[in-house]
Amino acid sequence: MSENPLPEPIFSALLDVLIPVRSPSLPGAGSLGLAAYVEPRLGVGVSGVSSGLAALAARANESHGTDFSALAEQAQVELVKQVGAEHPGFVESLLFHLYTGYYEHPRVVEALGLESRPPFPKGYPLEAGDLGLLDSVRARTGLFREV
Amino acid sequence: MSDEPVDVLIIGAGASGAAMAWSLAETRMRIVCLEQGGWMNPADYPSTRTGWEQERFQGAYSLSPNGRGRREDYPINDSDSPIKISNFNAVGGSTILYAAHFPRLHPSDFRVKSLDGVADDWPIDYATLEPFYDLNARMMGVAGLAGDPAYPPKELPLPPVPLGKLGETLGRGFNRLGWHWWPSDSAIATEEYQGRAACINLGPCLTGCAQGAKGSTDVTYWPVAIREGVELRTHCRVREITVDDHGMASGAIYVDAEGNEHHQRAEMVIVACNGVGTPRLLLNSRSKLFPDGLANSSGLVGRNLMFHPYAMVTGLFDEPLEGYKGPTGCSIISQEFYETDRDRGFVRGYSAEMVRGMGPVSTALWGMSSNQLPWGQGHHAAYDALWDRTAGMVLICEDLPEPENRVTLDPDLVDSDGIPAPKIEYRLSENSLKMLDHAVARGSEALEAAGARQTWPEAPLPPAGWHLMGTSRMGTDPGKSVVNSVGRAHDVKNLFVVDGSVFVTSGGVNPTNTLQAISLYVADHIKRNLETLFD
Repeated sequence: MSENPLPEPIFSALLDVLIPVRSPSLPGAGSLGLAAYVEPRLGVGVSGVSSGLAALAARANESHGTDFSALAEQAQVELVKQVGAEHPGFVESLLFHLYTGYYEHPRVVEALGLESRPPFPKGYPLEAGDLGLLDSVRARTGLFREV
Repeated sequence: MSDEPVDVLIIGAGASGAAMAWSLAETRMRIVCLEQGGWMNPADYPSTRTGWEQERFQGAYSLSPNGRGRREDYPINDSDSPIKISNFNAVGGSTILYAAHFPRLHPSDFRVKSLDGVADDWPIDYATLEPFYDLNARMMGVAGLAGDPAYPPKELPLPPVPLGKLGETLGRGFNRLGWHWWPSDSAIATEEYQGRAACINLGPCLTGCAQGAKGSTDVTYWPVAIREGVELRTHCRVREITVDDHGMASGAIYVDAEGNEHHQRAEMVIVACNGVGTPRLLLNSRSKLFPDGLANSSGLVGRNLMFHPYAMVTGLFDEPLEGYKGPTGCSIISQEFYETDRDRGFVRGYSAEMVRGMGPVSTALWGMSSNQLPWGQGHHAAYDALWDRTAGMVLICEDLPEPENRVTLDPDLVDSDGIPAPKIEYRLSENSLKMLDHAVARGSEALEAAGARQTWPEAPLPPAGWHLMGTSRMGTDPGKSVVNSVGRAHDVKNLFVVDGSVFVTSGGVNPTNTLQAISLYVADHIKRNLETLFD
């Protein structure tokens, strides 16, 4: 069996750094389980993320003598910045899928004040609006050329 | 399926092919339409499931045919163009994914040379098309508000799309500036209409309308045309139009879903494959009599490609705008800068169309791409400042015809049936660049007048190559045009073209309404002149 290219708990810990806790009831992206969403969508980008994670693990061990996932939040942020600078694209390659998965997650959608559902079939009510705002426009002339 | 000869062969079941098929159906001629795509199932559209937002950016409903991975599409080499092609191949064509924004051209758009000294006049005018615009409005179910001072009076069968908070906010901004604005003409059933359900403001019109309220031709023209006897064959890709020894079109060779080749013979061939697909087909139809491609004695097939160069300005507001509700591309339009004013430093003009706001995922991705959304500790505060507080404005600039902007056949690229694929060569003109600059500045000004505290412009908008025009232009001089004033090829008396490729100039509005009106006008000519049509 081949080794998981994006091992845990470090991958989820990284996702928690990228999108941290939003509120007491809404944990960071890794704790929400976004690793399972992001990993299969990375495609060929998985090798770059894998290399970045390995560098992150090594740097945590060298600098702090412990696992990345065991570090305090600020220390994790600093290490991600360092490794991200040394491995261009490491963080950026994750963000498209991470943001996509996070912002369609039911708990996140509800935290934004929306129902967690697709638009169809319920749709949305929308006010017709005040067409009286057009009175001054309606009075204008000469907006198209007569030919 | 039978390949027995038919009276009329229509190639392409999109906006214009559908209108043509419906109009000709009353003649009781034998009519067959070949479409390389299939029927779409609205129950499969992304808005029916979680994850609907991301499907606009990648996968089977994304805008670029090169990224969708559908057999029904053909690849397009658009690497030599700053504007990339967006289209769709299915029954309904690109109306499946369009915004259904449905303005007409202005009367002045048909007289560009006479009025402004550039490009060419059309051989037809607004009055010629007016009854067909009205007919099309009834068939497509156009919503709008009468009394727009930017147009002559026009028929609008349905009440306008709701302004919502976003539309009202932007309308007030235009009023502060004293600029024109008006609810958008929209091919959207704002009430139940001819069997279509009323719009329920789903939002993501650009990935298909699950409600069936949007006027895509699979739910407007086609059901009626088929009831009237037109035969529509799907998953049939035309390789070339054939000709007889007298230089008349004799039919078309096509490949069916199983890869079998057929020759459908016909008395008359009508091409409706859009401004890229039509020149591709004509250029692929080479023969001893037409070695440079069919109907191409002028050398103009594929030339004078026009897009609408788009700018987009996004504004950030302090208050929630409920922008994720309602038809994405249909809200309000401003044509304050539509007609030529030479003091602006360019000729012709543009429309400004408001687009509604973004859903949660789109907000995040836009925040990321515009460097407004950091990862890490500042992420949530930054997101909350963006969520439901953005409004967009797209500025649709008139593109003038230039022979160097063209569609040719790529020497290497082929589709899944081995048919040569199109290549796009396009550059933005000085006039377009100046117009884009003006549009960005005025768009930002309008958003700020409406209360935006920050704006972000982008111009030209790369994926905005969805209006494809000019590549088989209409005209009276066979040396300077491909088809005549009724859409008939100068070189081939029983060959007609009815899509956006016949446009002489582009105007500064979405072209679907006009190209359908042209198709209905050509169909009317055919019906009135059947006995002498090929003289």
